[in-house]
Amino acid sequence: MSETSAVRLDGITKSFGSSVAVDDVTLDIRPGEFFAMLGPSGCGKTTSLRMIAGFADPDSGSVLLGGEDVTYLPPNKRNVNTVFQSYAVFEHLSVADNVAFGLKRRGVPRDERRERVGRMLDLVQLTGMANRRPRTLSGGQRQRVALARALVNRPKVLLLDEPLAALDLKLRRQMQVELKQIQREVGVTFVFVTHDQDEALTMSDRLAVMNGGRVAQVGTPEDVYERPADAFVAGFIGTSNVMTGTYADGRLTLPGGVSLPVPSRLGLAAGSRVGAAVRPEKIWLSDFEDGMVQIRGTLRETVYSGATTTYLVEIAPGVQLSVLEQNIDRSRREERWTGGEIIDLAWKPEHCLLLCETA
Amino acid sequence: MLTREPEVRQDRPTKRRRTRLWSALTLPGTVWMSVFFLSALLLTVALSFGTTDDLGNPHFGSTLANWAQLGEPAYAKVIFRSFVYAGLASVICLLIAYPVAYVIALHGGRYKHALIAAIVVPFFANYLVRMYGWSTVLADDGPVLRAARALGAPPSLTILNTGFGVVAGLVYGFVVFMILPLYAAMERMDVSLIEAGRDLYGGPLRTFLFVTVPSTRQGALAGLVLVFLPATGDFVSAQLLGGPNQIMIGNLIQQKFFDGQNWPLGCALTVLLMALLVVGLSGYLRRSRRDEQEAVR
Amino acid sequence: MRRAFSRRRKPWFAIAVTVAFFGMLYLPIVVVALFSLNSQKSLTVFKGFSLRWYRAFFADHDLIGSLGFSLRISAVAMIGSIVLGVALALGIVRSRGKLGSAAGLVLLIPLITPEIVTGVASAMLFKGVGLPLSSGTVMLAEVTFSISYVTVILRSRVAALNPEVEEAAMDLGCSRFQAVRLVTLPALLPAILASAILIFAMVFDDFVLAYFTTGVTPQPLPVRIYSAIRFGVQPTINAVGTLMLIGSIALIGLALLVPRLFGRRESLSQLL
Repeated sequence: MSETSAVRLDGITKSFGSSVAVDDVTLDIRPGEFFAMLGPSGCGKTTSLRMIAGFADPDSGSVLLGGEDVTYLPPNKRNVNTVFQSYAVFEHLSVADNVAFGLKRRGVPRDERRERVGRMLDLVQLTGMANRRPRTLSGGQRQRVALARALVNRPKVLLLDEPLAALDLKLRRQMQVELKQIQREVGVTFVFVTHDQDEALTMSDRLAVMNGGRVAQVGTPEDVYERPADAFVAGFIGTSNVMTGTYADGRLTLPGGVSLPVPSRLGLAAGSRVGAAVRPEKIWLSDFEDGMVQIRGTLRETVYSGATTTYLVEIAPGVQLSVLEQNIDRSRREERWTGGEIIDLAWKPEHCLLLCETA
Repeated sequence: MLTREPEVRQDRPTKRRRTRLWSALTLPGTVWMSVFFLSALLLTVALSFGTTDDLGNPHFGSTLANWAQLGEPAYAKVIFRSFVYAGLASVICLLIAYPVAYVIALHGGRYKHALIAAIVVPFFANYLVRMYGWSTVLADDGPVLRAARALGAPPSLTILNTGFGVVAGLVYGFVVFMILPLYAAMERMDVSLIEAGRDLYGGPLRTFLFVTVPSTRQGALAGLVLVFLPATGDFVSAQLLGGPNQIMIGNLIQQKFFDGQNWPLGCALTVLLMALLVVGLSGYLRRSRRDEQEAVR
Repeated sequence: MRRAFSRRRKPWFAIAVTVAFFGMLYLPIVVVALFSLNSQKSLTVFKGFSLRWYRAFFADHDLIGSLGFSLRISAVAMIGSIVLGVALALGIVRSRGKLGSAAGLVLLIPLITPEIVTGVASAMLFKGVGLPLSSGTVMLAEVTFSISYVTVILRSRVAALNPEVEEAAMDLGCSRFQAVRLVTLPALLPAILASAILIFAMVFDDFVLAYFTTGVTPQPLPVRIYSAIRFGVQPTINAVGTLMLIGSIALIGLALLVPRLFGRRESLSQLL
C-alpha cells in the first residue's frame, strides 16, 4: 500500500445472536475521501460504521485508523466523530455549548474554544444562533448543529449515519450539495452511510455497496454504475435489465430460443446459467451504428414521464426490456407506435455486462 | 499488506469488557429492596408459624395454630366481610367512574386536563383528613342526612356505624384509582366506533353497553384491581365510619399488633391477605394477557 | 372526529353523575376547611369566622414537633429514594442482564402490596433484627416504600431517552460514566425533580406505614392526627388538615410546573 488508509477494516465480522450482521468485511478508505457505504437496511453498513466509531466490538478482525489498531479502544479514545441519524443534539445545552462539548472534554482553553465554535457555526451557516436552545430549531438546523459539533474537534474521520434521512426531499438535495462543499473545505475523510443510491452516487468519491453483511463492490460511482460486479449491484444501483439464460461460446440463449451475443468470459463452462445486464438508457431505438447488438421485440407498454419515455419491449417469452429515451423528438414516435408493434432495439456490445449468477 | 505478527497483537488492548456501570447502578437499590422489603415479607411469613410467650413476646416456631385460628368463625367472618366490602366498593367505584370518565374524556373539550387534575389533587390531600371529613359529612347531623331527612327520609336512617358507611369510605378513598385507568382507556378509544355504534344499535344506552364498555374493558379491569387491592387491606374506613361491629381484616391486624400483642397471629392474617390478593392478581394478569393476545390477532 | 361528535346530544345522565361526583369529592374537604375557621368548637354548626384553631395549632409544641418530624422524614425519604431510584431506573433499563429484569420485577411488588402488609412486614423486620422502632426506622421504611415509585416513574423516562444522545457524548470524549453525568442526568432532571416533589408529598401524607414503624416519640403528623380523631374530636385537627391540604396542592402544582419550566409538557397521568 502506497499511502496509509484513513480507515482500514480488516476482515471484521460481527454477529448478533445467530444472525451475522457483518461478514468478513475488508475495506480501505483513503485520507480526505468522501466514502459512502450503500445498501438496503440490514446489510451491515450501520454496524460497520459503529465498529469504526467504537460503539460495537467486532467478533473478529481489526479496525485501523491511520494505521493504528483501535479495534478495542472505547469511542472516547478514538479520533473520529459521528453525526447520528437522530442528530442526538443535547437538549439541555445551547447551540454553542453543544458545539463546544467535545472541545471542553479535551480541555481546549476557553478563548480558543469560543473562536473555533464561532468559526464552525459560520461554516454550517448557524451564525447568530449560538445561544438558541435546540428545541427552537428546525430539523435542518439541528442537523447542522450535529455536524458542527462533530467537525469542530477536527477528527481524522467523520462518520455520518444516514444524516439526511430525516429531512424532506428539498432540504435533502440542498444538504447533499452543502455537505460536499463542507467536506472539500475542511478536507476531513467522510464516511457516509446511506440506503439512498442517488445520494451515494452524487456525493461520494468512492462507495462500497453492501449486501447481506458483505461488500458486494467497491469503486467510484461510475465504476459501480457502469460496471456492476454482480446482479445485486446491477439491480440495486439504478435500473438494469437483467436477462437470465444459458451461456455458450459468447452467446446467451434466452427462453424461447432467442440468442444474443454477450461478452465472452474465460472459464465459464458452456451451459452455465448466467445473467446479462443492459441499462435502459443504453438501448437505442433508431439510427443504429455498425457493430451494435440488434434484436427485435414487441412493444408492450409506453410510459411517458415528461423528460423521458420508457418503452417496455418483450424480446423473448417472459423477458421484457425497459428502454429509456429522451423526449427530444417525441411526436415522431407517438405517431408511429401505439403498442403491439414489432420494433428493433440495439446496444453497443460493451454496454452489455455478463453478471456472475448469484444463488 | 498489513502484517499481523503475534507481537503486534499482544500490544493492542485486549477485548474490551462489557461495561459494569449498569450493574453497578442496579445493585444498591436491589440490595436495599431485598433487605428491607423482600426479607421483611419472608420474616412475616416465618413468624406466622411462631408463638408468643407469657409476656407477649413473639418467637419463631413451626406451629400451625395461628393459621388454624383464622378458620374460627369470629375471624372467618371478618375476612369474608373484608372481601365483600372491598368487592362492593370496587363495583360502586366502577359505576361512578364510567359516566365520569366518559363525560370528561369525550365531552370535556379543552377542560379535560383541568377536570382530571381536579380529581387527582384532592387525592393527594391527607388520607386521614379526607376520611375524617367524609365521616363528618355522613354523620347523623351532617349535611347529607339532614338533606335526606328534609326530603322525607325516616329519622332513623343512619350511615355511620353501618356496613354501608364502611363501603362509602372505601369508595371515597380509592375511586381515583378507577377513574384514571378508565379515563385513559376512553381517551384511547376511537370515537368513530361510537358513531358507528349509534348507527348500528340506535340508542345511547345500547351503544354504551355494546361499544363503549367492551372497548374499555382493559381499563375497567385495571381499575377494579387498583381499587380492590388497597380497599381489602384498609382499616381506617372501618374504624372511622363503621365502628366496632364492622371491622375488616386490617383492623384485626392492627389489633394484634397494637392492642393484643399477638404478632404471630397478626402475621398470619397479613400473609393470608397478601396471598389472597396475589391469587386474584395473577388471575387478572392472565386475563389481561389473553385480552392482549386476542387484540393482536 | 371530535367536532362531529360534540354536535351529538349531550349525555345528560352521565353529566349529572359527574356533577354529583365532584360534589361528593369536594364536600368533605370543604367541610374540614370551613370548620377550621369556625369560632366555636362545634363540627356541625358554623358560628362565625375565627383563626383560633390555627393559633391553637401553632401554640401546640407537640403538634409543631410532629410537623417538623414529618418534614424530616419526607426529606430523607425523598433524597434516599431519588438517589437509589434514579440509579435503579438507569440500570434496569440499560442492563439487559438477569439482575436488571429481576430488580424490575421486585420493584413492582411494593406497588401492589397493600400498605398494611408493607407496614407489618417492616415492623417485623426491625423487631426481628432487634432495631427498636424510632425515628430512624420510619425513615428506612419510607425510603423503601418510595424507591419503587421513583423507579417506576423514571424507568419509562429513561426508556424514552434517545440512546444515541449518550453515544454522542462518548463520541465527543466522555467515558460512559461521564456521559451519564453530563448528558443523561440533565435530560432526566425535570422528571427527577417532579418525582422528588411527589415523593415528598406522598411520604408527608403517609399514615399506615408510619403508624407501624414509628417509635413512641416523636410521632409523625399523620399518626398524631390519627390518635386525635380516634380519641375525641378536636377542631385543631381541622386547621392542621386544611394546612396539609394547602401544602399538598402547592406541591402537586409545583410537580406539574417543573417540567414546564424546562419547556417540556408532561401530562398528569404520566407522573402518576
